[in-house]
Amino acid sequence: MAVVTGFDLKGAVSDNRVASIWKLATGYRNVYAWATFAMGLAAVFKALTYLLLRYFVDNVLIGGQLTQTVFIIALGFVGLALLEGSFTFFSRSSAARVAENLARNLRDYVYDHLMRLTYTYHDKSQTGELIQRSTSDVDAVRRFFSDQAIMAGRIVLLFVVNFIALVYLYWPLALASVVVVPIVVVLSVYFFGRVSDAYEHFQDQEAVLSTTLQENLSGIRVVKAFARHDYETDKFEGDNWEQFERGKRLLSLHSVFWPISDILCGIQLVGGFFLGALLAINGTITVGTYLAYAGMVIWLIWPMRNLGRLIVDMSVGLVSLQRVLDLIRVDKEDLETGSHAPAEGVAGGIRVENLTFWYEEGHPVLQDISFEVKPGEVVALLGSTGSGKSSLVNLLPRFYDYQEGHIYLDGVEITEYPRHYLRKQIGIVEQEPFLFSRTIRENIAFGVGRHVTDEEVHAAARAAALHDVIESFPEGYNTLVGERGVTLSGGQKQRVAVARTLLKDPRILILDDATSSVDTETESAIREALGRLMEQRTTFIIAHRIQSVMIADLILVMDKGRIVQRGTHDELMQVDGIYRRIYSMQARIETDLEKELQGV
Amino acid sequence: MSDEYEFEEEEFNTEFNGRTVWRILSQTFPHWPWVVGFLVCITVVAGMDSYFTFLSARIIDEGILAQDVPRLTQLSMTYGILTVLQAGAVFGFIYLAGVLGHRVRYDMRKKLFAKLQDLSLSYFDRTPVGWIMSRVTSDVDRMAELVTWGLLDVTWGLMNIGTALVFMAIINLQLALIVFAMVPILFVVALFFRRRIIRQFRQARKMNSKITGAFNENITGVRVIKALTREERNLEEFKGLSSQMYDASFKAAWLSALFLPSVQFVSSVTIGVIVLFSVGQVEIGGLTVGGLQAFVSYVTFMLWPIQEMARVFAEMQLAIASAERTFSLMDSVVEVKDKPDAHPVEAIKGEIVFDNVVFYYEEDKPVLRDFNLTVQSGETIALVGPTGAGKSTIINLLCRFYEPKKGRILIDGVDYTDMTLHSIHSRIGMVLQTPHLFSGTIRENIRYGRLDATDEQVEQAAAVAGATEFIMALDKGFDEQVGEGGVLLSVGQKQLLSLARAILADPAIFIMDEATSSVDTLTEALIQRGMDEIMRDRTSFVIAHRLSTIKRADRILVIDAGQIAEMGTHAELIRQQGHYYNLYTKQFRTERERTLLDTAGDFAAR
Repeated sequence: MAVVTGFDLKGAVSDNRVASIWKLATGYRNVYAWATFAMGLAAVFKALTYLLLRYFVDNVLIGGQLTQTVFIIALGFVGLALLEGSFTFFSRSSAARVAENLARNLRDYVYDHLMRLTYTYHDKSQTGELIQRSTSDVDAVRRFFSDQAIMAGRIVLLFVVNFIALVYLYWPLALASVVVVPIVVVLSVYFFGRVSDAYEHFQDQEAVLSTTLQENLSGIRVVKAFARHDYETDKFEGDNWEQFERGKRLLSLHSVFWPISDILCGIQLVGGFFLGALLAINGTITVGTYLAYAGMVIWLIWPMRNLGRLIVDMSVGLVSLQRVLDLIRVDKEDLETGSHAPAEGVAGGIRVENLTFWYEEGHPVLQDISFEVKPGEVVALLGSTGSGKSSLVNLLPRFYDYQEGHIYLDGVEITEYPRHYLRKQIGIVEQEPFLFSRTIRENIAFGVGRHVTDEEVHAAARAAALHDVIESFPEGYNTLVGERGVTLSGGQKQRVAVARTLLKDPRILILDDATSSVDTETESAIREALGRLMEQRTTFIIAHRIQSVMIADLILVMDKGRIVQRGTHDELMQVDGIYRRIYSMQARIETDLEKELQGV
Repeated sequence: MSDEYEFEEEEFNTEFNGRTVWRILSQTFPHWPWVVGFLVCITVVAGMDSYFTFLSARIIDEGILAQDVPRLTQLSMTYGILTVLQAGAVFGFIYLAGVLGHRVRYDMRKKLFAKLQDLSLSYFDRTPVGWIMSRVTSDVDRMAELVTWGLLDVTWGLMNIGTALVFMAIINLQLALIVFAMVPILFVVALFFRRRIIRQFRQARKMNSKITGAFNENITGVRVIKALTREERNLEEFKGLSSQMYDASFKAAWLSALFLPSVQFVSSVTIGVIVLFSVGQVEIGGLTVGGLQAFVSYVTFMLWPIQEMARVFAEMQLAIASAERTFSLMDSVVEVKDKPDAHPVEAIKGEIVFDNVVFYYEEDKPVLRDFNLTVQSGETIALVGPTGAGKSTIINLLCRFYEPKKGRILIDGVDYTDMTLHSIHSRIGMVLQTPHLFSGTIRENIRYGRLDATDEQVEQAAAVAGATEFIMALDKGFDEQVGEGGVLLSVGQKQLLSLARAILADPAIFIMDEATSSVDTLTEALIQRGMDEIMRDRTSFVIAHRLSTIKRADRILVIDAGQIAEMGTHAELIRQQGHYYNLYTKQFRTERERTLLDTAGDFAAR
C-alpha cells in the first residue's frame, strides 16, 4: 500500500466529526473496509469451529461412526484456527497500517502547516497547546483507527456472526440467550462515561501534584533558605493524599461495575445452559448442538462488557481529531504567489509612503510613515521601546500585512512579490537570535538552500569573528548548540546569526543592534563583523545606542508609531530636537564619569 | 524532556535482580493484610473459573446425557450461586489491589518527597529537575503497578492454569498430560512476542519524544524558519523522523497483530491432538462428551492467563529498571546535615567570620582558596567580580547550602556546624537573581517568609518593599494568582514580591543576588528603596550589579579567582585605580546609555 498523496487534509475539515473521520480516511477506506470484512470472516471461522465440534460429537462420538474421519476433523480444527488467525492478523495489521499511515500524514501535514501559519497566528498561540495538538491529539486519532474502531467492529461482528449461527442452530434459544445484552451495553456505556470523568478528575490531581513537586524542586533554594521543609511537606502531603482519595474513588467505580456485569452475564449464561440442556434432554436439539451453543454463547455475551469502553474512547478520539482539524482549518500564508519575482534578484531601494499599521483595529502602532532609501544605504531607527521600530521592519519581509499606505521595493509594491522570494532577499540578525539544537555548522548553513562547502562555512565564521571561538570547542564545527551541547553566550549567538546571514547573502539587512550585555573585547569583534555584513547592502538598524546610528545615511527618530525627526547625523545636529538632546546627553556621560571619579 | 527519555532508555537494565524485586515487594509489607486479601480473592476467582468449566461438563454428562432434569436443575443452581459468590471475590480483588496500588504510590511519593527535602543543594546542582520528576511520577507508578496488578495477574494466571490442570487430570490424566506439555511452549511463544513488542513500543516512544522535541523547537523558532525560508527543507527533515516513527510504531502493531493468532494456533493444534485421542478414550469409557467439552474450553481459554503472565514478565524488566533508579534517589547521601550534638540558636547578631575557608565542587578545581573575611554585625557587603569568580559560592557557604572543605565559618563566634541547619536557615532572608515564586496568590507568596504572619503584617511588608502600588493595580490585589512560577508577573514585580517575602521574615542576615536583566526605571527605584529598608541594621551580603547598590555598601569585595582581589569602600577602591576602577567606569557607561533612549520618549512628550 503506497502512501496516499494528493489528498489535501484540509478537505477533511468539517463540523461533523463522523464526516471528518470519513473524509480523513480518503484513500484508505477500501483497505479499512477489507480489514473489517476480514474481522467478520475471522468470526465466521470461529463459529465454524464450534459447528465442527457439533458434528464431531453428534456423528463420531455419539453416533459412533466413521472413525477414519477423526483425523480429518482434527485437521479441520487446526485448519479453522489457522484461517481465523490469518484473517485476524490480516485485519489488525491492515488497520494498523492505515492508522499509522494516517498518523504519519497528519503529523507531516500539521508540521508543515504550523511552519506556514502567519506571524499573527503564532503571536496568539501557546506553544504547549500547539504541541499537544500535533502530538497527543494525533496519537488519539491513530488509536481510533488502529485499536478502537477495529475492536468495536470485532465485538459487533462476533456478536452478529455467532448470533446468526445460534439462530441457525435453534432460534428460540438464540433469542433467550441475548436478553441481557442490551442491559449490559447500556450499563457499560454509562459506566465508562462515568469512569472517564473520574479518570480525568484523577489526572487533574496528578497534574497538580507534579506542579507542586516541580515548583518545590526548582525553588529548592528558597525552600531551604526559609527553612520551609515542614510547610512544603505538608503541602505535598495534602496533594498526595487527595490523589490517593481520587484514585480510590476511581477504583470504587470499577469494583462496582465489573462484579455487577459479571453477575448479569453469568446468570444469563447459566440460564441459557439450563434451557439448552432441557431442550437437549427432551430431544429438541442434539447434544452436539448444545455443545456448540455453549461454546458460542460466550463470544456473544462477554465481549459486550467492553463495548462501552470502546465507545467512550472513540468519542474521545473524535474530539482529538476535531482539535487537530481546527488547527488545519486556519489559513496559512501564501508563500509562492506573486506577480513580480525578477530572476536576478533585487537592487534594494525602498520607498515607504503614508504607511499605517495596527495589530488590533483602533490601536495603530505605525502611523503615516514615509521615507525613502537607495540601494546600499543605511537607515537607523532610533526610539524607545514600543516606538514602532520592530513593527516597521517586520513589515518588510511581509511577516504582517499593513493596512494603509505603500511599501515599494525597487519601485514595485512588496505585496506583488511572493513572500518566499522577498524573504530570500532579506537577512535578519536579531538581538537574541534563536539557534537550533544542531551543530554549529548546520546553524550557520541553515539559511542557504544549496549544499555549502566547509570552506564557505569557515569563511563566514571568520568574517563573523567566530572561527577561533568555534575551533576552541573540542568538536569544532560539529559541536551541538543548546542543552545537549555548548551554551553559547549572547554575543556568540549573535555572531552565529551574522555568519548565517553572510552565507545567505541577502540584498537587504535588518539588524537589531544590541550589544549592551557583552564585554568589551567581543563588542569590538561584533562591531567589526556587523560592519562587514552591512557592506553593499541596504540596511535597517534598530538602534539601542547612539554610536551605531552616526554612520547611517538616514536616521529616523521614532516615537509612538510616528517619525518625529529625520536626517543624517550632521543634519540632525543642526537643529534643536530630540536627537541633539540625546546626543548631548550621550556626550555628557564621559564628563559625568569624570566628575564622579573626581568627587571621590 | 526528550533528552530525559533517551537517558532513561539507555539505562534500561536487562538483568533480573532478585534483591530489587524483593525491595519493590517490600513496599507492600506495611499493608500486608491487603495483599493477602486480594491474593485470596483472586485465587477464589481463578479457581471458580476452572470449576465453572468443570460444572458445564457435569451438566452435559450428568444432566443431558443422563436425562436427569433434577440433577440438571441442581447443577445450574449451584452454577448460579457460585457466579454471585465469584462476583463478590471480583469486587474484593479489584478494590483491594487497586486501593493498595494507590496507597503504595502515595507512600513511596511521600518517602521520596521527604528525602528530597533533606538532600543537600549539591544533589540538586548535579541532578536535573526532569530526572527527579520522572522518578517520583512514572517510575513510582510502574512499581506500584507491578506489586499490585502485576502480582495479581501472575497469581491469577498460575492459579487458573494450575486448577485447570487439576480438573483436567481428574477428567482424564492422559489428555491432561498433553496439555501439560503444551503450557511451557505457549508461555515461551508468548514471552518471545511480548519482549519484541515491548522493544518496538519503546523504540516508538523514543521516536515520539524526538518528534515532540522537533515540534517544540520549530514552533519556538518558527519566525527564524520563515525568515530563512526553511519551510520545505524542514518538512523534508521532519518526514525522515515521522517515517522512522511509522516504522517503529507499525512494527509494534504488526507484532501485536501476529501475537494472539500465533498463540492461538499453538492451542488449536493441542485441541486437534485432543480430538484425535478422544475417540479412543471415549470408546474405552475414559472420557465423556462433557469431558471433551471441558478440555476444549480449558485449552481455548488458557490463552489469557498465559498472555497476561508473559506481559507481566516482559514489563517486569521495566519496573526493575524504574525501581533501581528510584531506590538510588532514596539511598542518596545527605551531605549537609546536623551534627549529632548540634544545638539550635535563639538569636543571631550577625557577626560572620570566614576562617581560612577552602572549597571546591570538584576535587581538582578549587573555587575558594584560603578565604578569610570578618564581617561586623549590621554591615553591608557588596560582592563584585566576573562570573565564575566564586561570588555565588561564598553565598552558598554562608547559607550553609554547602560546607567548607577546610577551614571554618563562625556566626557570632561559633562554628556554624555546631548549630542546627534549621536555626541558621530560619534566620536568613534571601532574594535570588531570578526570583522564585510558587503558584498561588500574592499574599501566600509573601507569607512564605513568615507563615504565622497576619494579613496586616503581609501588607505591611509589601508596603515596605514598595510592592503595594503594583499589587493594588491588579484586579484582585493581594489575592491575585501569580501563575505557575509567577509567569503572570514581570521580573521586576517578582523581585519586589521576593523582597517583601524576605522583609516579612525579618532575618538576622540578608542575602541578595541582584538581577542582571534590566527592569524599568520606576521599578528599579522601588527595589532600591526596599533594599535600603531591609539592609538597615542587618548584616547583608549582596552580589551586586548596579552601581547604586555597590556604592551604598559599607564594604566592597572584588572577588577574582576565588580570592579577594580588592576590598574597601567605594572611594578607597576608586583611588586604587585597579579592578574596581575599570569595572565601575564600564558599568557607568553601560547604565547611562541604557537609560538614554527611554529619555528620548520623555523629550518627545514635552
